[in-house]
Amino acid sequence: MSDSNDSTNIAVQAKDVSVYYGDFRAVKNINLDVARNKITAFIGPSGCGKSTLLRAFNRMNDLIPISRMDGEIVYRGKNLYDADVDPVEVRRRIGMVFQKPNPFPKSIYENIAWGARINGYKGNMDELVEESLRSAAIWDEVKDKLDQSGLSLSGGQQQRLCIARTVAVKPEIILMDEPCSALDPIATLKIEELMRQLQEQYTIIIVTHNMQQAARSSDYTAFLNMDTTDRSGYMVEFSETSAMFTNPQNQQTEEYITGRFG
Amino acid sequence: MENPENLYPVDEELQKFIDYRKRSGTIWRGVFLMSLFVAILVLIVLMLNIINDAFGLVALENEVDPHSLVTGYQENTMVSMPNTFASTNHAALAAVIQQNETGIGFVGHAHYQTNADDLRLIAVDGQFPTAETVADGSYPFARPLYIYTALDTLQSEPAVAGYFRFYLENANNSGGELGYFLADETLMADQINLIDTLAGGPQALDSLGGNLALSGSSSLYPLSRQMLLDFRQAGFGGDISIEQIGSEAGIEAFCRGDIQVLNASRPMTVAEAATCQRNRVNPVEIAVGLDALAIVSHPSLDFLESVSLKEMGQIFAAMNYWDEIDPSYPVEPIVRAVPGEGSGSLELLSGSMFSTIGLENLSGAAYAEIIRENLGRGRGRALERDQRFLAEGFIFDSQTAFNGACASAEPPTGCAQPARDRDNLLDLIEQEIIVPQIQQTWPLYDSIFNRQAIVAEASRKYPDAIVEFKSWLNPDFLVNPQSSEAELAGVRTAIWGTVMVVATTFLFSFPVGVGAAIYLEEYADSTKWYNKIIQTNISNLAGVPSIIYGMLGLTVFVRLLLPLTSGEMFGRVAEGTDPSGRTVISAGLTLGLLILPIIIINAQEALRAVPNSMRRAGMGLGATKWQTTWSHVLPAALPGILTGTILAMSRAVGETAPLIVVGASTVIRTDPTFFSRFTVLPIQIFQWTSRPQPEFQNLAAAAIIVLLLILLTLNASAVILRNRYSTSS
Repeated sequence: MSDSNDSTNIAVQAKDVSVYYGDFRAVKNINLDVARNKITAFIGPSGCGKSTLLRAFNRMNDLIPISRMDGEIVYRGKNLYDADVDPVEVRRRIGMVFQKPNPFPKSIYENIAWGARINGYKGNMDELVEESLRSAAIWDEVKDKLDQSGLSLSGGQQQRLCIARTVAVKPEIILMDEPCSALDPIATLKIEELMRQLQEQYTIIIVTHNMQQAARSSDYTAFLNMDTTDRSGYMVEFSETSAMFTNPQNQQTEEYITGRFG
Repeated sequence: MENPENLYPVDEELQKFIDYRKRSGTIWRGVFLMSLFVAILVLIVLMLNIINDAFGLVALENEVDPHSLVTGYQENTMVSMPNTFASTNHAALAAVIQQNETGIGFVGHAHYQTNADDLRLIAVDGQFPTAETVADGSYPFARPLYIYTALDTLQSEPAVAGYFRFYLENANNSGGELGYFLADETLMADQINLIDTLAGGPQALDSLGGNLALSGSSSLYPLSRQMLLDFRQAGFGGDISIEQIGSEAGIEAFCRGDIQVLNASRPMTVAEAATCQRNRVNPVEIAVGLDALAIVSHPSLDFLESVSLKEMGQIFAAMNYWDEIDPSYPVEPIVRAVPGEGSGSLELLSGSMFSTIGLENLSGAAYAEIIRENLGRGRGRALERDQRFLAEGFIFDSQTAFNGACASAEPPTGCAQPARDRDNLLDLIEQEIIVPQIQQTWPLYDSIFNRQAIVAEASRKYPDAIVEFKSWLNPDFLVNPQSSEAELAGVRTAIWGTVMVVATTFLFSFPVGVGAAIYLEEYADSTKWYNKIIQTNISNLAGVPSIIYGMLGLTVFVRLLLPLTSGEMFGRVAEGTDPSGRTVISAGLTLGLLILPIIIINAQEALRAVPNSMRRAGMGLGATKWQTTWSHVLPAALPGILTGTILAMSRAVGETAPLIVVGASTVIRTDPTFFSRFTVLPIQIFQWTSRPQPEFQNLAAAAIIVLLLILLTLNASAVILRNRYSTSS
């Protein structure tokens, strides 16, 4: 990806980002450019702040009362943490899929339609629901039971329903926080295929514990690790996935991806 | 270093160790089971205690026996039927029947005997009057006959004592021929001894001075007359006379002291004996034989062999033609001869003939007639102006007086209302004429296991009372308002009061409480010191004694917000009365404050139980906080919120102390409105239990059951709501 540094191809930028929980600094001094229509993966050992960093991109950390953040997330030339930016709008444009599938305890149809409705969608709702479910590759499995509860689906289906729900409000970036950690390998594979399809329209940032998944399905990879002195996370290495997995620049990266720690 | 496996018990030791651990578990299990037993036991004892008081035997004394109202009404009907001849003179009755080919009627058996050739005897339920059927009671119209005199007369007039002795010695000789049934010989001998004790030994008949004047029953007339004639035959030299005026009139005259010797075809009642005593007439009662009332017809009515009591009711008190009884009978008018009013015979007759007819079987017109006969004129008029008895015409009032009252400035309620219906009339008869009075009550346990003893005790202490099983919890109890008469008291006003107070409580505390909980859980920053204080404060408020809320309610709602809570602001205070803040609204708001902390805490718990992933899911889609809360968090928390709220409402339903302070009334007879004085079930129970009369304890027990049922219903609905909402998602 030779044009990765072209500014028009950058979807969102993290500039010197540090996130604190109370007095504890969870991640520090992250600088990162996320390429448009690519899949960027965050990998690293438990507790190194991958998910915290991910949530910083759509201000989900705001929901944790004691969290605070330094630095800038630049999206379309604007710092998302500026005082005049509405976090509701940020989350509307930068959607999120969570670690544990969390469909609403409502019908499958309503799971999709609710987000569209509250965001003022004016088009044909039935079409939107079908289109979203198709783009999440779950339409064929649920088209006959749209009025059943979202909770009646299997774990993998629920997660794809959550992706469909996110896709339905047409965000530009989709954040995925370990979306496959609660799923079996077949469901995981389906989600990975789905990510590849979604990549054509969306920029995807994914946090994963699974090195194979990162290697298989991402274009860029950031490796985070925990600083042994102050226990806060920092970015060790960020490069194209193929480069990182074949030729890691850093000793720690190599040890991690070869499974010697973590 | 030792082999690590050896540090743990193995083999037998391991098995022992496991057994030991299981044993200590078993002991705890036993302890918990005991706790459960204690709890259940307490609950059962409590329920049994309440049930013990809510049901049981009562000794009920009616001012007027309801059956006497029925027989009185039926007697009147019978006597006033067309083609009916009524007389206290049985010879006249016999003559009427002899002269009419379609005649039927009653005469004393003695009178039938003397006219046996011209009269046809009819069996009752297949039984003819014979010595056996009369003695064993299978013939219904039989009764003992008595002669009475005053003790003074007996002792001062030798002629009377002599006649009585002669009567007792000879009645059984002549009585049989005359158609009477003989009295027991030992009884007769005992009574002769009694006369001797009271009046001294026998004297020669020709030496007896003075005269004999007899009066009273027509049934006994032939026998007493025969005895008089025989007495003179035997040597009595004075004047003799005998009249027949009927038993009732005879007893009345006797008790005034107007009759020397009284013939009676029934014993004196307790009330009549008391009248005698008041007039210093000490009655001496002598039984002289048994008489049966014979039902006889003209000999040509040969189609009648035997009649049932029911058919007799039709013949004498309902139909006018024979073919109405049975189509095979001739189309001829029924000519009837019945004993006249005030005779013992009529009483005997109607008592048996209408014994199967209850007060509740009669028609509305009959009720109106009973009211006409038995209710005082003044009271009757007042009731008639409240609501008319008859759709057409009046019983006590007159059309002109009624119209006048209706035209006045304050017309009585009866002007606008339709006439009372049958049920209303029956209620009125019960409340105004029968007036049941409970003399004593017994708890359920005694009623079941000591029934005999109770019945015996009651018949000794309250001879006129009926002992019957009473459920204090009955439909009337639910629909009657509070009353000072235990028999008539009910809980309708208290139930309404409870419902309205609790409705007010709900309308106030549910929105406020849930709103506060949502703010505290979803919006407030729990790390801020002021929010911590609020949270602690709410938890503490839930533990404040309820009476303190009562004080608060009294100060704030009853006094400070008087214009609002009394309804003055809304023009709901009647002119000329002082506005009072002791209203349903005040009580509801006070209870609302009381349960507000409970609702808030419960709702907070419910909201906290909603997983955060639900909130993140909503927010992650670009929803605002409120959209997420409204669409996802609240629906998920709703079962918990509702359960908590209903449990808090249950607490409000059962609260007494704060309402006493706020000023709940104890006696409320009209249904409350939101701006009226009120009572609620716990207050009603409290008031009843503090009254000395035992029957109010029974009422309290019944009211407790009602209260428990309301609470159970509320709790059951909480369970149903919870299940319903949690399965639907």
